[in-house]
Amino acid sequence: MEPYLKATEHDVDERHLIEAAQRDPTSFAALYEANFDRVYAFVARRVPSREEAEDITAEVFHQALAGLARFEWQGTAFVAWLIGIASHLIARRWQRATGHIEVTADELETIGVSDHTERQAVIAQLVDRLPEDQRLVIRRRFVDQKSIREIARELGRSEGAIKQLQFRAIETLRNQIRSGHA
Amino acid sequence: MPSYEIEQLDAAINALLAGQTLEALRNDPQLLPMTEIASQLHLTPRSEFRAGLRDELLAHASMPPAGRVFDASLAPSTHPQLKSRMVHDSVFPPLFSTGVSMLPVRGSHLAVSFALHVAALAIVFTSGWWMVENRTVVRKQIASRFSGTIDYLLPSSPGELHGGGGGGTQDKLPPSRGSAPRFSDQQLTPPAVIVKSDAPKLAAEPTVIGPPEVKLPQLGQTGDPTAAILTPPSNGTGSGSGIGTGEGGGVGAGNGPGVGEGRDGGIGGGVYHVGGGVSAPRTIFDPDPEYSEEARKAKYQGSMTLSLIVDSEGHPRSVHVVRSLGMGLDEKAIEAVSKWRFEPGLKNGQPVAVQIAVEVVFRLY
Repeated sequence: MEPYLKATEHDVDERHLIEAAQRDPTSFAALYEANFDRVYAFVARRVPSREEAEDITAEVFHQALAGLARFEWQGTAFVAWLIGIASHLIARRWQRATGHIEVTADELETIGVSDHTERQAVIAQLVDRLPEDQRLVIRRRFVDQKSIREIARELGRSEGAIKQLQFRAIETLRNQIRSGHA
Repeated sequence: MPSYEIEQLDAAINALLAGQTLEALRNDPQLLPMTEIASQLHLTPRSEFRAGLRDELLAHASMPPAGRVFDASLAPSTHPQLKSRMVHDSVFPPLFSTGVSMLPVRGSHLAVSFALHVAALAIVFTSGWWMVENRTVVRKQIASRFSGTIDYLLPSSPGELHGGGGGGTQDKLPPSRGSAPRFSDQQLTPPAVIVKSDAPKLAAEPTVIGPPEVKLPQLGQTGDPTAAILTPPSNGTGSGSGIGTGEGGGVGAGNGPGVGEGRDGGIGGGVYHVGGGVSAPRTIFDPDPEYSEEARKAKYQGSMTLSLIVDSEGHPRSVHVVRSLGMGLDEKAIEAVSKWRFEPGLKNGQPVAVQIAVEVVFRLY
């Protein structure tokens, strides 16, 4: 999965970003941008709804911001710390929902950033880089879960054209993943 | 761009959005990579959410630190203690935490399982050690052979008495069980279970012909020693007075005034020695005797001899101790030998009962 990792790595040293954010919390935005997709992908795969995924992801970053001063650099990727917080939050939700412990945050934490999570994060980033019309179709189709007809009506184009855009977008994603130029 | 593929992909996306799994859509290998990507697209975040959260965080970051409350219990991995625990978790997760699996996994479950396995291993090792420490070897050997009667569990005749006797009064019932009367050199009155004349003119004690020095076991009531226990009183179906199914004034199935098979008095049936046409019984099932706890504790060992009759069906009968060892080992030997099975000894190709002796050696190592 090395190509995917490359796609989400920043050229800037992460440690410097963390230290900068610890000195000035408004610099936290860089850490957020660098890690959002992986945290969201990790959470979204483990909760049943988009609302819950957004809720937990927001909580993860709020907690990370509040606890950033406590973070000690020990060579572990910052995203692992974020995933750890996410794991605890997911575990708490499950406990609340089921009334007993099904899984602990520690257990989820050991899952870490899996290949699936990385791949998911890469796809999310690649979607952002699609041509605007293709990106719009993908967003409407998959995020908003609209039908081809609804999208065609909204964009004032034929259904066949929307299907073509949908096909091209996914084909582009496939080619970029294959080539590792994400 | 082939329109067929466009339609196929759209159909697959419709199915995915309707809740079908990717597994159900694997039938088109050409479209599969694209279908796989499509199956992950619904997990992409909303761009509005991403941007909104960023703005929200920046707003919070601009607030004084007191306005940001961190839940310390969520801090997962940068503290050395927690990090150390994570290492344990990755090595042996359910022991130190609960786990995700098809079934609920808890640390307590694993601890109980671990304890049970340790206990089982301890039992295996302890029993193995005990077996090594308390190894016993029991050697069995048919040491000598004795002669014996075939059907009658009577004392062996001391000499070359090949006689026997039989009788009966032609009753409809078989002879009833009892003791044969004593041996005498002459017979004035043949034995009878049912005496035909209650007031004989000359009363005389019933006897059978045989060596007077041989004492027959006395069971109380006169009768045939081999008869069934529950038979009503009867002199038997034989003839010529006496008791039994034979002829003459004796007891049993023979002919004459003696007892048992054969003729001309004495004890019938004779004695069978191995050799001279009689083969030795051979064991076909001979479980080892157990060591008695008392003897094992005392580390007592030695040999003892049993005598038994192997009947014509190969079953041991009349097992008794000839040379005792004690410490409960005699009983253990009798218990085991009584379960043995033999190929019976043969005489003229016919299975016959043969009395044998078995030497059992108990040894501790």
